[in-house]
Amino acid sequence: MDEVTIGWYIALAAILFSMGALGVLVRRNALIIFMSIELMLNAGNLLFVAFARHLGDLDGQIWVFFTMTVAAAEVAVGLALAVSIFRNRDSVNIDDMNMMKG
Amino acid sequence: MTIAQLYIPVAVLFGISIFFALLLPILSKILGPNRPGGRKGEAYESGIVAVGNAQKRLPVKFYRIAILFILFDIDIIFLFPYAIAMKKLGLFGLWSMLIFVVIFVLGDIWVWKRGVLEWE
Amino acid sequence: MGHPIVFLILATVAVFAAIGMLTSRNAVHSALYLVLNFCTVAVFYLVLNAPFISMVQITVYAGAIVVLFLFVIMLLGADQLPKASSNGGLQYILAIFATAGLATALILQLSGFGDGTAKPESALDASPEAIGTLLFQDYVFPFEITSLILLVAMMSLIVFKAQKRKKQDG
Repeated sequence: MDEVTIGWYIALAAILFSMGALGVLVRRNALIIFMSIELMLNAGNLLFVAFARHLGDLDGQIWVFFTMTVAAAEVAVGLALAVSIFRNRDSVNIDDMNMMKG
Repeated sequence: MTIAQLYIPVAVLFGISIFFALLLPILSKILGPNRPGGRKGEAYESGIVAVGNAQKRLPVKFYRIAILFILFDIDIIFLFPYAIAMKKLGLFGLWSMLIFVVIFVLGDIWVWKRGVLEWE
Repeated sequence: MGHPIVFLILATVAVFAAIGMLTSRNAVHSALYLVLNFCTVAVFYLVLNAPFISMVQITVYAGAIVVLFLFVIMLLGADQLPKASSNGGLQYILAIFATAGLATALILQLSGFGDGTAKPESALDASPEAIGTLLFQDYVFPFEITSLILLVAMMSLIVFKAQKRKKQDG
């Protein structure tokens, strides 16, 4: 217990990822769901960097940049969708977004 | 010298700034005269009465600028390592960066032509 | 890989910020808890010898992405939503059990990859120069594809303009 190993970071990243998943499952506000997805991506990034440090290999850090790009694009597109849905339906509650139900 | 030791000056600067950020408001609270009430509590002491709530809905044009800000931010995080390693990378790095920048600028021109940047 | 006390303090802050984000009713508070979480992860990056990624984390995540969230919250005036109808307690209990199972499975599966001792800190040169060299030599094609991703993100701007024009006509 006197030395931080990769296992500690695995546990932390798994907990943060699962909390993001919990947010996606239980929250109804579309914006909070996007924030939870950001939390999950962030947990993945943390594990990338932790393993880069563990293995002494810089490649893990490079992938963090690509994850960040995808996260930023996802937020831009996703929030634009949220704004245009809000204009049509006056709500960001995902239970109201059932227009495509068969 | 480990990498953690390199951050000691940063930590010292951080500590000093937090200390002063806390010290000065507390000192002015203790030493200064304190007579609240009347017009002093209003948002504008010039006498203009504040209207409405601070959290009001913003027009969508601010959001468009925020999206552009994110995109240029991502552009910068790739430009910065390139700029530092530029000499080592040579012509190949220059071409790969040029392709990236050209695609990005084409997108910007398209956005401009569609009138997204207009501040009506 | 960092001192245990530093790890425990930062991990506690990160987990509580995540809990705060999940449970606060006001969306602005959720976004601010998210900033706290991103900042603690940025400190983790410093501990893990990734100084450039740490700064990028602060500028991109805590700076730009959360600013975008706050803009949308203020744009929609959606900061205080009425309590949404949900499937009640059963849904929460099921969701908590499912995510606890997910966390357990992730830890069990991933800890298999964590064999051996960590390499010394000096084994990893994570200066921006090293990152740039690796990024533009071994990862050129993924890098070029990110420009296409940015192009797609740019198209989301068109949505607003098209909708605006329709509104003026009708």
